[in-house]
Amino acid sequence: MMKKEITFLLHLWRANLIAAMEFRVAFLSQVIGMMLNNALYFLFWIIFFDRFQNVRGWGLNEMFILFGIVAVGYGAGVFLFGNVMQLADVIATGKLDYYLSLPRPVLLHVLASRSLSSGLGDFTYGILSLLVAGVASPDAIARIILGAIFSMIVFLAFMTLINSLGFWMGNATMLAFQAGNAMLTFALYPITLFDGTGKFILFTIIPAAFMGAVPAELIRAFDWFTLAQLFFAALVLLALALFVFRRGLRRYESGSAIQIQS
Amino acid sequence: MKSILRFTSLRFASKYFAILKTQLLNTLIYPADLAARSVSILIFVWVFINLWSVTYRAMGQDQIGGMSLRETIWYLMLAEAIVLSKPRLAQNISAAVKDGSIAYLLNKPYNFLLYQISIGIGESITRLPFNLIAGGALVWMAMGPPPDLGAFPLVLIAIALGWIIDFLIAALIGLTAFMTEEIAAFEWIYAKFLLLLGGLLIPLDFFPAWLKQIAQALPFAYTIYGPARLFVHPSVEYFIALSVGQLFWLISLGIGVALWYRKGTAWLTINGG
Repeated sequence: MMKKEITFLLHLWRANLIAAMEFRVAFLSQVIGMMLNNALYFLFWIIFFDRFQNVRGWGLNEMFILFGIVAVGYGAGVFLFGNVMQLADVIATGKLDYYLSLPRPVLLHVLASRSLSSGLGDFTYGILSLLVAGVASPDAIARIILGAIFSMIVFLAFMTLINSLGFWMGNATMLAFQAGNAMLTFALYPITLFDGTGKFILFTIIPAAFMGAVPAELIRAFDWFTLAQLFFAALVLLALALFVFRRGLRRYESGSAIQIQS
Repeated sequence: MKSILRFTSLRFASKYFAILKTQLLNTLIYPADLAARSVSILIFVWVFINLWSVTYRAMGQDQIGGMSLRETIWYLMLAEAIVLSKPRLAQNISAAVKDGSIAYLLNKPYNFLLYQISIGIGESITRLPFNLIAGGALVWMAMGPPPDLGAFPLVLIAIALGWIIDFLIAALIGLTAFMTEEIAAFEWIYAKFLLLLGGLLIPLDFFPAWLKQIAQALPFAYTIYGPARLFVHPSVEYFIALSVGQLFWLISLGIGVALWYRKGTAWLTINGG
């Protein structure tokens, strides 16, 4: 069963890539443009740490690692499962009908049916950022892979969870946009900036710490406790997202929008 | 002859004012949507309060670049409000080019670009108060009252001029779709110029002197940094200097957009219909 789903996923990704390659210039402009975009954004931190050196134990190198891991996790997430950014819209506009009419796992099929080319730009930029930070030893690469997978799962699970609220709300597009915005914004800032309530929020309601700060910590210095924390958080979020999506699906109704995908 | 000219220019202006008013009313129909959009400013302002409070504390200074912590946060709140209130004009123009609807818009009895700018201002005017109220309330609670509000009408004029500069740059980017169709990358990069050289993430006063000089010579600073700085350090002299700079960029970019538009429409090919 699992093998069948993985083969299906690989076929979807292949089809997405072939579709993107049809518009090669647009694809490349998105990839290179996103890398340039990230580099320009990161200039802020270069200017900031040039002036202020160190803020609560965070310096430029820590920022390279944090930015790198968030970009890799987010980039891989939206490149492989691009519809996660539009799931609320898919639910609200009845486009789930198409996926429900096919004998494939609905959520997996919806999420992987779309690929954001710019995600590949984020992913590549993230790798470069981690290289600049000097994390390139074999064990560091293993930690990066682990951290990136967890970062991606946390992001995808959180977005699926929020977008799935559309089953109850009708239209959760704005909520999903704001939640995604908050998740990325907070993930890209040093966790040490936040105390008490702030930290509590970033480890629970908006779990941005598990997308950025905790995976970054794992890359800086391996620790079983940090790994267990990440594993547990990713597992809980994923289980919650799947539960909410499945419960929501039972409530789903539409005016029959079955149509051939163009 | 003079009166005919005055009459036609009045009719010309009233046409775009009517478009602006229509858009303003359109946006106001959905107050819940406007309020929901204001959540973004709360997120950014909260991050800024944390980041800069920690930074000022770590530096052990009351002032950085001539600004106190309270002034910095109010500056950043206004900067965010300016940016979050404006619509994505470049995307609207590019969408019209890509889906071919520009063919129907070009033969209407109005100038396509002035139409887009009027719509942009109409939308921004409705979004700004919501963002100012949400962001301002959070900053007031965390940092204390805003600087002198006596000069706020001047700040509003500076914001409006800044928006028009931004719309002209967005139009330049949007019209690039006549040649490239895909403009997302240009839009992202422009957004990052605003973030950094426009002073959205950090006041230009915190830059090294050489970078501050470069940033101040570019149009981005006139859309965000100028109005936000006027808000925290109000003075008539600064307002005049800012307005002169803004008018210079308005005229220069206006000429650039007009030329680019003429070239783009000559290039335009619509398939089907």
